[in-house]
Amino acid sequence: MNNDSINLKVGQCAATTYSVPVGPVHPALKEPIRFTFNLDGERIVGVDIKPGFAHRGIEYMGMRRNLIQALYLSERICGICSISHPLAFTQAVENAAGIEVPPRAQYIRTIIGELERVHSHLLWAGVGAHELGFDTLLHLTWNVREKSMDLLEELTGNRVDYAIPIFSGVRRDVPAEKAHLAYEALDYYKGLLQQMIDAFLHDKSVEMRTRNVGALSYDLAVDLCAVGPTARASGVKKDVRQDMPYLAYADMEVKAITPEDFGTEPHGDVYDNIIVRLLEVKQSIEIIEFCLENLPSGELMSIPKVPALLATLKKASGEGLGRHEAPRGEVIHYVRLEEGIEEPAVWKVKAPTYSNLMAWVPKFLGDEIADVPIIAASIDPCMCCMDRVHMVDTVGNETTRMKEELVRLSREKTRRICG
Amino acid sequence: MIFGTLIKQLFSKPATNPFPARYMPKSVTALLAKVAAGKATIHPPVPAPADLRGKIAYDREKCIGCQLCIRVCPAKVIEFLPENKKIRMYVARCTFCAQCVDACPVDALATTPNFLLADTDRFSKNLIVD
Amino acid sequence: MSATLLNAVWQGIIILVGGTFLGMVYKGLDRKLAAQMQGRIGPPLRQPFFDVVKLMVKENIVPDHAVAWLYNLMPLVSLAAVGTLLFYVPLGGFEPLLHGYGDLILVLYLLAVPSIAMVLGGFAAGSPFASVGAQRELVMMMAYEFPLAITLLSLGWYLSAAMPGVHVFSLSVLAANPLWGLVGPLGFIGLLLLFCALMIVTPAELAKIPFDIPEAETEIAGGILAEYSGRNMAMFYLADAIKMVVMGSLTVALFFPYGLSGLLGVAGAWGSVIDVIFYLVKVFVVIFFAVIVVRVAFARLKIGQAVRLFWLPITGISLLGMLLLTLDRIV
Repeated sequence: MNNDSINLKVGQCAATTYSVPVGPVHPALKEPIRFTFNLDGERIVGVDIKPGFAHRGIEYMGMRRNLIQALYLSERICGICSISHPLAFTQAVENAAGIEVPPRAQYIRTIIGELERVHSHLLWAGVGAHELGFDTLLHLTWNVREKSMDLLEELTGNRVDYAIPIFSGVRRDVPAEKAHLAYEALDYYKGLLQQMIDAFLHDKSVEMRTRNVGALSYDLAVDLCAVGPTARASGVKKDVRQDMPYLAYADMEVKAITPEDFGTEPHGDVYDNIIVRLLEVKQSIEIIEFCLENLPSGELMSIPKVPALLATLKKASGEGLGRHEAPRGEVIHYVRLEEGIEEPAVWKVKAPTYSNLMAWVPKFLGDEIADVPIIAASIDPCMCCMDRVHMVDTVGNETTRMKEELVRLSREKTRRICG
Repeated sequence: MIFGTLIKQLFSKPATNPFPARYMPKSVTALLAKVAAGKATIHPPVPAPADLRGKIAYDREKCIGCQLCIRVCPAKVIEFLPENKKIRMYVARCTFCAQCVDACPVDALATTPNFLLADTDRFSKNLIVD
Repeated sequence: MSATLLNAVWQGIIILVGGTFLGMVYKGLDRKLAAQMQGRIGPPLRQPFFDVVKLMVKENIVPDHAVAWLYNLMPLVSLAAVGTLLFYVPLGGFEPLLHGYGDLILVLYLLAVPSIAMVLGGFAAGSPFASVGAQRELVMMMAYEFPLAITLLSLGWYLSAAMPGVHVFSLSVLAANPLWGLVGPLGFIGLLLLFCALMIVTPAELAKIPFDIPEAETEIAGGILAEYSGRNMAMFYLADAIKMVVMGSLTVALFFPYGLSGLLGVAGAWGSVIDVIFYLVKVFVVIFFAVIVVRVAFARLKIGQAVRLFWLPITGISLLGMLLLTLDRIV
């Protein structure tokens, strides 16, 4: 495949190719991004990706609110990972301020985080089926997903935006009288898992559409720094829960799931993505079960009073990094606190889609236009997590910035915010 | 194969939760009053857990006007009324995190499982708590 | 104007209105049953009627880049072609209105016209999505027309060989002489194979999943129909509904032309009523298994996979069916 064609713009391509725009609004995309595909017949010979349609300036907003307010803002970075961002953010702030988290709180955070993974992966599987034109599987999967949403609602008080973690602990307990609901849901999923695997992995028409589609080799996955299921589907054994255990993950053995666990060679294609995500649902169920059985007793928060917490955070200074294996991959929050101010001095978010974005290019090249929706969906993109910059000038002209200038601008900004 | 599931679903009740009323009524409260009087029927709503984080309830008598809830509210829902040292909440802005409930030192605030808050007027009586 | 001509015009109007109505009802059933199989409630049965009424009152937008006359003409051509088809296909067990003025070959050609109209309309729309869709539709036609032609022509040929002297390629003659009773064991297997081929061609002819490749919503945003709106869209919608009835009736006429009235011993008007109801049920059964179940049970194929499917296995099945029928005649 000719890599020079990647950067071809509309009108510059050879006479035999033509360009098809996909997005920012297109049925194949659930969130705004623009692809410009150069096609030779049905085959993709070049792709240009333009993100930046969902930039909301959340980091900037968070740096103008006190930390408790910013916590709920971090929850709203993404509707699906609405526990992943707060988990990373609270860890970053706790690291910076040196706050201890009681073990019971860590276990409860883990339970909610893994439940989110279950519902997020099922959501992805349904969306993937819809992209293949297999709406029945979409409806079946999302029907099954409801059980985890209901459980989350019971445990946290809401279906999304759980508002569970707070600096120094968690806000709600998983009481013994609700544990049976959790076990019930886990049993439900255990019974369904084989059915899900049959419906997705042993279905001929799904296999025809996903095998060897959007393949990403092991080397490319490593080179392009792909994270999460996207990297694991290519056989890269990379998982924050395995590599740098945090929360309750340190008490158990979490292994990165690759297609080898299903007994197949990793290709990094869409089929492998399905394998990894379905097996991770199973893994999450096991983790939740472990957490429920070994739930330590004790307090939920080390600083239960809100005024005391605000005072502690105001006094704290230092910088902290929070990492969490979100359903889409590693999410990192960086926070710097300064003494005497309630707001975070710096808040930086790196969402998993940001790392996976470049994996799209080799995945698209050489495949057909019919594969665009499923390949676009295969990295489980989340634009609202990822968009960090949007360039406009006062008169609305479109400008193009080259790499050198962007690097210079980024360095300037980093120096500015880091003082 | 998926055929077994298809045939099973063809003859079973759909998983969809129907909207309580067949069409959007002109007035929700009027319809609910009718249902209470037994003059109309609705599809029973899916029960919500008792500790759902819905609309915040405010006990005016207990409130001491400390403004802690205003400090922690991420959405600037709460307005302070200095003349009598009480608060007013604009539910239309609320994100239902219930952090104010945790912050309140005298338990003047509480969550309710009430989530039926859709309205065309953001200042309607239903959406202002004071 | 002579009385017979006037009579024919009246009958024509009744057939057109009735066929359209029937198509919309089947479309409603299709959506309702597909939803039920997916665990949803689905739209009410009369939703297609609402859709058409809504489309009729909506603005009819012609894109700036479109070739306006071609773009506006093609929905009309499509609707006219399927409307004509209604006059050639036996509906409700009656003889087709234009019986004697055209035969199976004409039906074959008329079936291709709506697809060609969509292709031209797609190219005329001047949108990249519509162009991709139009190319795909052309490729799809090349893929499924061959097994379709083999199937229809084999049946006609067998009848001409079995009953020399009749107007053999006429659909009404084929419907009046069910082949199941004429063939031997070899031919029986051949007929079964041809039936299977026709059932698989039906969803492709109607552009339903897994063969809705030219319209693929998630890939090319509706493809051929991406730019169509309002009245033009309504005409394509109606054409699609009628085509469903035509394909169902064609399958029924070729393979299950039997009536119940003779079996029950009811004659006259009541016999006709029973036959019409039985015909409606037969068409429904064909549509249910060829379209509704198929479209909820499979993922959309890629164009290359669909072409491979039609050119190798399906063409193979229909050729084998033809061969068996031939052998049955010769041996």
